[in-house]
Amino acid sequence: MALWRFLTSLKTCAWLGLAFCIAGAAGSVAMGRYPELFADMDAQVFAGWFARKGTADPGPTLWLYGLLLSTGLLAVNAACCTAERLVQIFRGTVTLRRLLPHAMHLAFLGVVLSHLASALYGDRIPGVAVPQGGFARVGGTGWVLRLDRFDSVMAPEGYPKDFSATVTLYRDTTPVARGVVRTNEPLFHEGYGIYIRNFGSTPWGAPYAVFDANRDPGATAILVASLLFTAANLLYLYPSRRTDA
Amino acid sequence: MVPDPPGTEAFDPALEGVHLILFWLALAAYGAEAGFRIGGVAPSTPWKSPLAAGVALHALFLALRWHLSGHAPMAGLFESLTVFSFCCALAGLLLCRGEETAAAWVPLSVLVLLPQAGAALIDKRLTPLYPALDTPWFATHVGFSFLGYGFFAAGLALGAVYLRSGGDANYRAAGQSALYGFSAFSAGMVCGGIWAYYAWGSYWIWTPKEIWSVIVWIYFAALTHLKFIPAQDGWPGWTKRLEMGATAAGYVVMLLTFLGVSLLLRSSHTF
Repeated sequence: MALWRFLTSLKTCAWLGLAFCIAGAAGSVAMGRYPELFADMDAQVFAGWFARKGTADPGPTLWLYGLLLSTGLLAVNAACCTAERLVQIFRGTVTLRRLLPHAMHLAFLGVVLSHLASALYGDRIPGVAVPQGGFARVGGTGWVLRLDRFDSVMAPEGYPKDFSATVTLYRDTTPVARGVVRTNEPLFHEGYGIYIRNFGSTPWGAPYAVFDANRDPGATAILVASLLFTAANLLYLYPSRRTDA
Repeated sequence: MVPDPPGTEAFDPALEGVHLILFWLALAAYGAEAGFRIGGVAPSTPWKSPLAAGVALHALFLALRWHLSGHAPMAGLFESLTVFSFCCALAGLLLCRGEETAAAWVPLSVLVLLPQAGAALIDKRLTPLYPALDTPWFATHVGFSFLGYGFFAAGLALGAVYLRSGGDANYRAAGQSALYGFSAFSAGMVCGGIWAYYAWGSYWIWTPKEIWSVIVWIYFAALTHLKFIPAQDGWPGWTKRLEMGATAAGYVVMLLTFLGVSLLLRSSHTF
């Protein structure tokens, strides 16, 4: 019973929130102080990075343990709170307004669990460089990427105003997807997004582009959970009475 | 060839001049408001105040700048500061409408004035957007986030006034500032996640700014929960005063996220 009270307590939520803030603040400083450790955090999925570097140097990564622990406990706290309150609500008067905070809790849980799925089962294939007219393997996907055409518009000041790449994705010799990739417009195929990251000219003058191929299996679920959270949040604002959560 | 992005055409010099005049007039109105408030002169209603006139001028300035540049005026430090000021004023007008909350206008008018005055010191040239910012998710992400920041600024003013002189209306309005700010900021985070997924290949990237954004979200999520802890529930003795202190302190957390991280730490959001 004491454990259940602890897990459902609002005070637990408050202290965990504080712990998260402290761990995150420490982490934001550590990331700048130890770039050799944290610079490649986004070059692979979190589980892979953490397995490789999370225990290598415990001091600078201590904040991550705090962040993960407080996030996990906040999720458990939200789940236990909602489980307890839903039982109470369904034994009494069920109103939408009483359910809304728990819809937000469930959405938060959805985001945490979906992010866990992405962190464990996602994939990151950075730096696939292809010259115009050339081919490059896309990591271990079995695909080959061809850069059919590259276009760019440069400002007089020297920065790129716009750039786009027409690409074809092959499996063996069969084209499986084709499209134009530009900033904010990746090409999606079988759960992977192909993103244009950089471009330049080869020594022999041909343009080339550099692509990342990423897969986040939890992304759709996170979007759904986020939209659920936003909808419940908006409904909760009207009318703004906050005495029956 | 790809088409020219918006905002690269030559800007109309007359309209450009008009929009800058509107900026300075809004600054003057905010300055007058702060001066009157600090001097103890209060209008009968916030809607008949220099600040209300300033908000109208400021809205015109932002609309004209949007028209001239072809993108939401929220890129770079100048536009960020002036939009922040506008959102602080807007949040104040929404939350501090009555006589009971009038005292909050003294600190709030200063909180509106400072970012606009800061923006006045910065290069105001119209610039085209970098390709990654050229998406509707940019305006929604930044717009909702700044709306949240505006409410958090109102929370500082209302919380400080409650700590000094009490008042149920101040307490209620400060609670609303945290809830509305949290809601707007949450919507901003959702839009930012969608944008990042399309632009950078993932809804989440590990940079100080992203971490601090979640810190702000968790901080205000916890804050909106704390008012439900029963007063007799013992240690840590959550009282209205402590809650108001935390609401006011939320502004500092927000400011560290908005300016501190962007100016001091390396991040995808660096100005």
